[in-house]
Amino acid sequence: MTGPGADGGPVPGLELEVPPKPAFVRTARHAVAALARLHGAPEDLIEDIKLAVSEACNTAVMRAEGANDSSRKPLTVTAWVDDRRIQIDVLDPSGTVARDVTGSPTDIDTEDLPFDRILALPIVRGLVDDVSITQEPRGARMRMVVTLAPSSEAAPSS
Amino acid sequence: MDLELETTKRDGQTVLTVRGEIDVYTAPRLRQAIVDLVDAGSVNLVVDMEKVDFLDSTGLGVLVEGLKRVRTRGGDLSIVVTQDKIIKIFEITGLNKAFSLHTSLDDALGEPVSGG
Repeated sequence: MTGPGADGGPVPGLELEVPPKPAFVRTARHAVAALARLHGAPEDLIEDIKLAVSEACNTAVMRAEGANDSSRKPLTVTAWVDDRRIQIDVLDPSGTVARDVTGSPTDIDTEDLPFDRILALPIVRGLVDDVSITQEPRGARMRMVVTLAPSSEAAPSS
Repeated sequence: MDLELETTKRDGQTVLTVRGEIDVYTAPRLRQAIVDLVDAGSVNLVVDMEKVDFLDSTGLGVLVEGLKRVRTRGGDLSIVVTQDKIIKIFEITGLNKAFSLHTSLDDALGEPVSGG
């Protein structure tokens, strides 16, 4: 879970546990944003990543809030960079998914992100390159992949 | 940065200035502010989001609710938004077509309305 940073030095990935509470979503998105920044991601892409992380966490947090269950376990947010792609996992140990989705974000639908999260659908579809929402023994996992175009290699605007 | 809300009156309209991050934690405060304003009779609202650093789907949901709330009372809700990262969120959700988006407060206040 390590990779070269913008300065050539090693940059570790991150894993953090946050309670499934709205107040902690900010912590998760800023932590992942810091990782992307260390890897030289341009600021506009970092904003996209922050939003994607928030939407993934929101889905789990609102599920927990809806269940009104204080015993729900913390979310685990994991992120790492591999081959200029940042992978972000949000694991909800108390969550379940209606079906497994893997591949294009356009394959997500309202069953995968509950109806009251319908505005999250176009956001996730518009921000990430790949997505998977899967039921695993440890819980419901949402994985998003975003390609980090290094600013030094970004195509010049025309 | 947390969320800061400030309400002012200008040109007979109510301006709700929002600063900071609108997310799942702070969006309920924005929702309540809009509800309170509308209940107090301010049905023509301008939400100034020029200083908003972050907006997610929960914040968008609050704005949509606010729009419905004022329109059912014969009013409208305009939004001032200048940052590309925020404009992008309206665009990818298609909500740029639902809201009246403006690039400055003067522009948003440009067409006087009654009942503000």
